[in-house]
Amino acid sequence: MDIDVVSEELLRLVDSRPPLDCIATGLSFGEGPVWDRRKGQLFWVDIIGSRIWKWKPGVGREVVIEPTGHANGMTFDRQGRLVVAGWSARTIWRVEHDGSITTLVTHYQGKKINTPNDIVTRSDGSIYWTDPPNGLIFPGMVPADAQQYIDVHGVYRLSPDGKEVSLVIGDDVYPNGIAFSPDESLLYVNNSMHVQHIRVFDVHADGSVGPGRLFHKMTGKEPGGADGMKVDVEGNLYCTGPGGIHVINPEGKLLGRLLIPGHCTNMAWGDDDGCSLYITTFHEVYRTRVKVPGVAVW
Amino acid sequence: MSWNFERVAGPYEGPGGGLAWDGSGMLFSAVGEGRILRFDPATGSVVELRRHTHRTNGIALGPDGVLYGCQEFGRRIICFMPDGSAKPAAYKLDGHFHNYPCDLAIDRTGGVWFADPHYPRPIPGPQIFPPLDHASVLCMERVPRHEWELRRVTYDTRAPRAVLLSADEQTLYVAEGEAGRSGPRELRAYPVREDGSVGPYQTLHTFGTDHLGEQRGIEGMCLDSDGDVVACGGWRRNGPGALIYVFSPSGAVIGTHPAPADMPMRCAFGDADLGSLYVTAGDGCLYRATATGLRGNVRGPFRS
Repeated sequence: MDIDVVSEELLRLVDSRPPLDCIATGLSFGEGPVWDRRKGQLFWVDIIGSRIWKWKPGVGREVVIEPTGHANGMTFDRQGRLVVAGWSARTIWRVEHDGSITTLVTHYQGKKINTPNDIVTRSDGSIYWTDPPNGLIFPGMVPADAQQYIDVHGVYRLSPDGKEVSLVIGDDVYPNGIAFSPDESLLYVNNSMHVQHIRVFDVHADGSVGPGRLFHKMTGKEPGGADGMKVDVEGNLYCTGPGGIHVINPEGKLLGRLLIPGHCTNMAWGDDDGCSLYITTFHEVYRTRVKVPGVAVW
Repeated sequence: MSWNFERVAGPYEGPGGGLAWDGSGMLFSAVGEGRILRFDPATGSVVELRRHTHRTNGIALGPDGVLYGCQEFGRRIICFMPDGSAKPAAYKLDGHFHNYPCDLAIDRTGGVWFADPHYPRPIPGPQIFPPLDHASVLCMERVPRHEWELRRVTYDTRAPRAVLLSADEQTLYVAEGEAGRSGPRELRAYPVREDGSVGPYQTLHTFGTDHLGEQRGIEGMCLDSDGDVVACGGWRRNGPGALIYVFSPSGAVIGTHPAPADMPMRCAFGDADLGSLYVTAGDGCLYRATATGLRGNVRGPFRS
């Protein structure tokens, strides 16, 4: 795989010619990758195909849930249950250990939420997700009810006891990717419509966040934009963007880019050492390797 | 008879969109703001009927009381239900996503005829599904055991912008062509066959080209009680200007009236006597001319 080196610091994080293996092809819209490190397997979604896939090295892939209501981002909670940003289903839902589905969130203040895009859990058990409206609009991701009821395109938090939904960020245009810093003191949220940038928010003890600060403005003219986002253990931020994946240091400086074929949508750290990066694009899933491991999900 | 237009609402962001008379008020789409508004001629007030319409342009009330809209960015006809929800209708033609519908007409059986042009600029969001390799008039009909089914109506259009059915539904008027997109700007009349297909069209009117470029054609149409076609067309840049045309069914220009603003977009008859003409325009305003001397032929569940 080619890389675009902006700072020599990048070469401390990735090889100059990192591998790029194709794990899966034939997707309509790959997204939501998450690594199950207990069982050594990867999950991802095909949004338009309305499927959740599972892939295990040496075994292959299989569909584990279909239809999904065009599910999007996924993560694990602290009990190892898959938690899903429902996108066109307009819900947050969870896959229980017995395979049953539990709907966690459908409304905020009595109004049906927009279309949850990406999702992350915090060590206290709370769940954060981005809620832009575009799952109501994009062809191929059709909800039963396409009316938007909430004016803001927010970032929400579900309390650890699952009882309270709170709006933590309400001033974004199109919140999309979401990630915590390794110590969870910072929350990164990117914006992928009209402006392509990443903002950072201080996380308060009660789970709310302070005012957003511009962390990084995306650059590049190639296909792709700010979408999925993950953080390594040193706090370097990996964010999809034009041309592939942009590697940004904790100060918000672009170190370089991993140039991925296709339109990148999201990524997940994986394998036993956490140094594999699984990358979804519209139509494929790839794997590459880095030198500094990512923050494990569960 | 001259028409005196007054501004009754706006300006709103971007050019105005479709209109629909609901029996006592005029619904109109503020496309750029993603809202459908309602002007009440009795009070002069404007209220918001629906927000977050995501570039819904043409609107029409069906015989079922549902407000149908051309949701350009969603690439679909959307049904604004009375309970406040919005149901996407059929969006695939022969297995492929259709284009970016902009105007529609509903027949007495509830069939939705709509213009499905290509969009001139990249639209936001992931472009997974390419547009069709044609830009046609399509028709969406309810069929047994399916919610909706789409069929292609025209095979000779390149940029349909507006559609209108005659009162007897035996003629489909199509405003074809968009200035600057290298095709004819015409008003066409297609005979509608018994099976819903159309025969060869007659060209009722053609817009020209001069040293300033192509003249703008028609963007919106409505029908009067004599069966004449009232059309918004032209612009101030060249040609005869921004006009409201009145065409006979054979294409004779019965009259023209200066549009209230440049780039007249769409029009509809309204008010208690259906004798007022409402026009949306490029400046984002809604205009009305009362006492036009015409009377609208208004479709939908409401007839004054």
